[in-house]
Amino acid sequence: MIRIANAQLWVHDQEEALAFYTEKVGMEVRADVTLAEMGDFRWLTVGPAGQEDVSIVLMAIPGPPVMNDETAEQVRGLMAKGFAGTVFLTTDDCQASYEELKGRGVEFTETPQERPYGIDSGFRDPSGNNIRLAEVRMPAGV
Amino acid sequence: MAFVPPARHLLRARDLVDARYFEPLAVDDLAAVAGLSKAHFSREFKQAFGESPHAYLLTRRLERAAALLRATDRSVADICLSVGLQSIGSFTTSFSRTYGRSPTAYRADHPPASRGALVPGCVVRAYARPQHRTFREDSAPARA
Repeated sequence: MIRIANAQLWVHDQEEALAFYTEKVGMEVRADVTLAEMGDFRWLTVGPAGQEDVSIVLMAIPGPPVMNDETAEQVRGLMAKGFAGTVFLTTDDCQASYEELKGRGVEFTETPQERPYGIDSGFRDPSGNNIRLAEVRMPAGV
Repeated sequence: MAFVPPARHLLRARDLVDARYFEPLAVDDLAAVAGLSKAHFSREFKQAFGESPHAYLLTRRLERAAALLRATDRSVADICLSVGLQSIGSFTTSFSRTYGRSPTAYRADHPPASRGALVPGCVVRAYARPQHRTFREDSAPARA
């Protein structure tokens, strides 16, 4: 059986992203190790409390030889335009989660709206990644 | 207005501990969320959940600290602060009492965080690859 373990987001600054995902979104740190043998590469993952087997890798944009300057610049450009990645989160109560996160300073790009599949909202992380936050309601009979 | 069982207010306080343990929460804050006086809240909380709010908050923080000791290479002091505790000395004492050994010993009893991090092979391949060095061979003049 194939399962999702980690999904990666590029971030401008790992400390900033860590603070955002833990203190504002309410996730937990899953792993945070710096590996000297890999050029001080920092493996940093966070995930929702209560969902232990899925995490988001907060990956810094590397320099050479992993990524040349031109490619790194392209990734930064995509992030700035909001096209670098999206994470789709779900919640039991979109309006309550929206209020909670907004109260912690999360800037929503989309307030909770009724959709055919439930209630959906959206915000961005400090790097510009698009994060969706939805309360999914399956239509009757599905 | 619908009747709300008193335990619902207590659960709200417990949820706050679960979500915001890393903030400087105190029993006063929890009592305020539950809408009860501190003494009344502590009594009701213990009756509902079997332990005092202070004990619940502390053990939540210690559980997180233990997870961070196992899964990260952050310093003990950093972990102490990141779970909402202010005093390293008190943290060490509480941790030792709960887990039977100091935070440092607890970490030493577990595999290094780097082993548990399970960095995927593709990432290791990409990041462990050294920068190419020519050592001037490329620019050495060709022999006649």
